[in-house]
Amino acid sequence: MRWITRERPKIDRIACPWAIKRFIDSDAEFIYVPKEAVFEQAEKLSAIPYDIAGAEYTHYGKECTFDYIIKKHGLNDPAIHLMALIVRGADTDDFDLAPQAAGLWAISAGLSYNFKNDQEMLAIGMKVYDALYSWAKYWQDEKHNWQPV
Amino acid sequence: MKWITREHPKIDRIACPWLIRRFIDPGAEIIYTPFDQVLQLAEKLNATPFDIPDVEYTHYGQECTFDYFLKKHRLTDPALKTLGVIVRGADTDHHEIATQSAGLWAISAGLAYNHPDDYSLLEQGIILYDALYSWAKHLQKEKHTQQPDENLLLEVFNNFLKKKSGKKIPAWAQELKELIQDHIDTNLSLKEISDSLDINPSYLSREFSKHFDDLSFGEYIRKQRIEKAIELMGTHTYSLTEIAYLTGFSDQSHFSRIFRKHTGASPSDYRKKMPEK
Repeated sequence: MRWITRERPKIDRIACPWAIKRFIDSDAEFIYVPKEAVFEQAEKLSAIPYDIAGAEYTHYGKECTFDYIIKKHGLNDPAIHLMALIVRGADTDDFDLAPQAAGLWAISAGLSYNFKNDQEMLAIGMKVYDALYSWAKYWQDEKHNWQPV
Repeated sequence: MKWITREHPKIDRIACPWLIRRFIDPGAEIIYTPFDQVLQLAEKLNATPFDIPDVEYTHYGQECTFDYFLKKHRLTDPALKTLGVIVRGADTDHHEIATQSAGLWAISAGLAYNHPDDYSLLEQGIILYDALYSWAKHLQKEKHTQQPDENLLLEVFNNFLKKKSGKKIPAWAQELKELIQDHIDTNLSLKEISDSLDINPSYLSREFSKHFDDLSFGEYIRKQRIEKAIELMGTHTYSLTEIAYLTGFSDQSHFSRIFRKHTGASPSDYRKKMPEK
């Protein structure tokens, strides 16, 4: 399937492709276009529009598009649900939602500053979310200790 | 120059190599080796050991090796200073010292899990610290725009709501109601209110309707003004021009237009049909 959204992704428009590729459709293709071209191109390319007002896959109330994807596709891995809070916090500037949200925002904003090409940004973003997922799944309770044992 | 440290880096042993390569020695070679071999190999390879106890480049008190690099090499870029605090928080498990530390730790721990090879981890880490540096240097004050039309200051507003929570109608909404009543004749704008409350207009607008009969800010204000206008009409003291002025409409035609929209009649027709008091 093809998925299409606004250009210059930072949080939600990177996290959603990550969730789609890892859990829903590993062959998914992601297209970024200027905001005003999203729906027109969606029709032309028969792609699913997301993270844009007016699409099914979008924000609802305080929840972001990543939340909607999780709900819609019944993803119930607890690690994903933890990630959702972090993504929502970073995406909606509500850093109180999860302690990790402010750091994810800083790193994502900086990546977007350094990588102006959306596909390149996506490739690097995938690694960030892979990392966040591994942490959420395997590391979460580990504390970091400096002194080598 | 060669630099050597313990294997399986996570924070400090990625952040320091990044700092070395970007600001101290672009051609630096970084070597990771088991802990018990660091000093021995350092001597053999003529490499500088770092981030192990009892060497020059290490932790001092609460400060981590990254801090020491900044000090030693007189790196005074404020963005590096910001970065130093985040790194220290993530590296020493004091996530409270910088709000970004917990996120940096989570992503770094996950990267380390996904990249068992220290050198490939370092390459990923360099991208991460380049990003954090860009953020610290250029974007620190910037807020995230959720959708292009909405710039949410959720954080500020949520804190604001939390302080006053507990009542069904939050205190701010009650205060706002009174404020609007008192200023019905002035053109009180959503922007002015949101500025004074330090809340983003679009978010205030959305929260507003929850406590004001599901009306938007603009609708509520207009409704209040029309109600006030009807009340003044009933007194027969004021002309319609005066009433328009007293209810905050810039001119008579604007008043007539809005009035008709709300009541279905023009102000003069409406007044004629009003029962005599």
